[in-house]
Amino acid sequence: MMGISNWLSDFTFSKKSIAPLVVFRILFGMMMLISTMRFIVKGWLQELYIEPTYFFTYYGFDWVRPFDIYGMYLLYGALILSAIFITIGLFYRVAISLFFFAFTYIELIDKTNYLNHYYFISLIAFILLFLPANRSCSVDQHLGFVKRKEFVPAWNINLIKFQIGLVYFFAGLSKLNYHWLFEAQPLSNWLKHQTDLPFIGELMQYDFTAYVFSWGGAIFDLMIPFILLNKRFRLVGYIFVILFHTLTSIMFPIGVFPFVMIVSTLMFFSSAFHEKLLFHLQKLFSWNKNKETKKPEVYRQKTNKIHVFFIGAYIMLQVLIPLRFLIYSGDLFWTEQGYRFSWRVMLIEKAGYAQFYVHDAASGNKKLINTSEYLKPQQEKMMVTQPDMILQFAHHIRDQYSDTIIVEKNGLNVHLESPKITAEIYVSLFNKGSKLFIDSTVNLSKINRGFAQKKWILKNEN
Amino acid sequence: MGKTKQLLIKVLMLKRIFLLIVIFLTTFSCQKKGCLDPNAVNLDTAAEIADNSLCLYSDFKKADMLSNICDNYILPAYTNFNDQTLLFQDLAVSFTENPTIGNLEILRNQFREALLAWQAVSFIDFGPANVILLKTQVNLYPMDTALIKENIALGNYNLESALNNDAKGFQAFDYLLHLPDLNDQEIAYYFTTNDQVKVYLQDLANNLVMNSQYVVNEWQSYKTNFKNNSETNAQGSSTSNLVNGLCAYFETYIRKGKIGLPLGVFNGFSQQEMPELVECYYRQESLPFAIAAMQGMKKYINGTSFVASENRLGLDDYMNYVGATQGASPLSDVITNQIDAIIVSLEELNDPLSNEIFSNKSAVSKCYEEMQQLVPYLKVDMTSALGVLITYQDNDGD
Repeated sequence: MMGISNWLSDFTFSKKSIAPLVVFRILFGMMMLISTMRFIVKGWLQELYIEPTYFFTYYGFDWVRPFDIYGMYLLYGALILSAIFITIGLFYRVAISLFFFAFTYIELIDKTNYLNHYYFISLIAFILLFLPANRSCSVDQHLGFVKRKEFVPAWNINLIKFQIGLVYFFAGLSKLNYHWLFEAQPLSNWLKHQTDLPFIGELMQYDFTAYVFSWGGAIFDLMIPFILLNKRFRLVGYIFVILFHTLTSIMFPIGVFPFVMIVSTLMFFSSAFHEKLLFHLQKLFSWNKNKETKKPEVYRQKTNKIHVFFIGAYIMLQVLIPLRFLIYSGDLFWTEQGYRFSWRVMLIEKAGYAQFYVHDAASGNKKLINTSEYLKPQQEKMMVTQPDMILQFAHHIRDQYSDTIIVEKNGLNVHLESPKITAEIYVSLFNKGSKLFIDSTVNLSKINRGFAQKKWILKNEN
Repeated sequence: MGKTKQLLIKVLMLKRIFLLIVIFLTTFSCQKKGCLDPNAVNLDTAAEIADNSLCLYSDFKKADMLSNICDNYILPAYTNFNDQTLLFQDLAVSFTENPTIGNLEILRNQFREALLAWQAVSFIDFGPANVILLKTQVNLYPMDTALIKENIALGNYNLESALNNDAKGFQAFDYLLHLPDLNDQEIAYYFTTNDQVKVYLQDLANNLVMNSQYVVNEWQSYKTNFKNNSETNAQGSSTSNLVNGLCAYFETYIRKGKIGLPLGVFNGFSQQEMPELVECYYRQESLPFAIAAMQGMKKYINGTSFVASENRLGLDDYMNYVGATQGASPLSDVITNQIDAIIVSLEELNDPLSNEIFSNKSAVSKCYEEMQQLVPYLKVDMTSALGVLITYQDNDGD
């Protein structure tokens, strides 16, 4: 028992150099600056938050709405500004709070845009909220707003490492399924489109290559956190990190994610490494640490029970959330119940096609809805394969037609109170042929949103 | 020189050996399952259960497929379209110079030929055609006949303005050459006595030729770009353009435009038929054009030559190469069969379609259902099998 408790206290409250945390703050700020500007330059702000007329909000977060164009630019301006302030460490607590809330708010606007790495960024920003990452090498400290610290409790560093390691480990766990391991799906399909790539294209035509990539990817994800933790293999592991992410970024349109991971995993390197980095950085800005007159704050090791509780709770949640899919029955990849926020990356190939109908109970007539009138192509693409979004869209259609009287050109008078909405949806998973996805007779307007088992999803039978 | 050749031979040999090993393994390791696709190199006639994921096909190169579709379908089909519009332009001049019933009939026949030629290129909806939004300039319907009359009367119009897309193109010829409530004699007489309609007809013909010539000329330089842009299937790549253009065109302009809209499928709750929305409403002939479009699509998908029936690398081979299936059958077969089913169901209908939607509604509905069935095959199964993405945005694969 003593061993565990010693290890635990070493893991949480022992004295550790602040350097890794400071380097992480600077790099994180810079990455966020680059990726936010990239987002704006690509025109996505306009495309994702201004142009759509409907947004797929998260259950419980329906109050999150996009602002108008000026508001959205202001919000992105706040992201850019706060990223700069995080990097240089000016008004750090304000900047990181602003960044966390602005970034998370934007991500909560529309499920369509859910990406695991956006979720990762939100979580990291959340952790950074509580850490004194501005206590060294920062403008705050330079101007004397905060006292310089040389040491922080170990959990400051370890919680970030845990978060990064967890991403890899769960990404690896999720790959341990039949399709990934024994059919090399979806990679075997995806790689076959890469045969015209220079140099490596030739390899892509063989199933063997897909199996190598599948198994290699799974082993990499599962092992890399532990390799990076190990002093002896760290450098080799990091080279693998670079190779792995570079390769995936060449082959798939996954944007800044590989870059974010390559930079973030630097966190696993030793304090000495980070101190050296900071030393060079300070030299670059001719910022002489030795000239500083004020003494750094003295580190006192103390166990804080409230901290322990919150850290424990955070870790528990992070482990439980990706496992929540276990409480749902049915094929996870087909139903996607408990799929998001679980580090399932590049795992499935799924596509669909939907036709929604509004029914007039009085006459038995039904009207075909023009989906593109309400949704952007990307929203439609995401909606048709994800049941919670299908339900949201059906409710949106219901709300458009509720309590309306429609007089059609030929004189037909349709009076709708709370119309029945049905959908005929075909979905193909792993290119095994499109099949009816949900019960096409069920009245979606009467089904409540929420986390209950969605019984109206048909079984995926082969 | 000799060394590289030797190396090449070695590589080829290795490939063969590898292939043989795989064939060997697949033949002997499974007892009943096997490849039953006659297009595969390892067709296993002894197999009892079709498992076409075991099928092996001769080396597939996207670049070769794109080259074939470009050289043997797209270029000759566009050239044919341009030739037919040029001929139409000539005959339009002859008719306006000498508006006899005989010349009217000749012009009408050429109108039909040119419109059939259009159907064969209509779904090549990307590249140069997309730059000038060819489909909206050439074959939009229904026409705004009031606007046509106004243009003729005022003699003051800019055909290059999108506002006049409703008053030009094939469907304007349909109207002008088959004016409702007039017999042939009266139509010929109308052209004899009205100089302004002569000018309008010629202007429309010139505008059509201008557009068809633009596309043919542009493809001369665009083709290199098209053939070389084969590395990925991301947005803007040739495969993506080809597939997206095809799917969207079929769904909107063939399924919906040619059959669904007139049938009333998209007409609110009433589902009231809308006969005036058929293609070539005034000529009272719509079906051959729909059939031509489907036949063109079939060739285009299967990599068949536009002029001969030679079948080389097409999207079908690409689907086979990635082992795409629908149920127990190869997806390529399912798509081809569905197109055939659509053609059969179209052939069972009789023109004028504007009557048929009332008098033989169930047959038209059946035809629509067949078309509807093709949509998921193309939009879901084909696009996903070929890894064609629809947007620029980052994704992490779900």
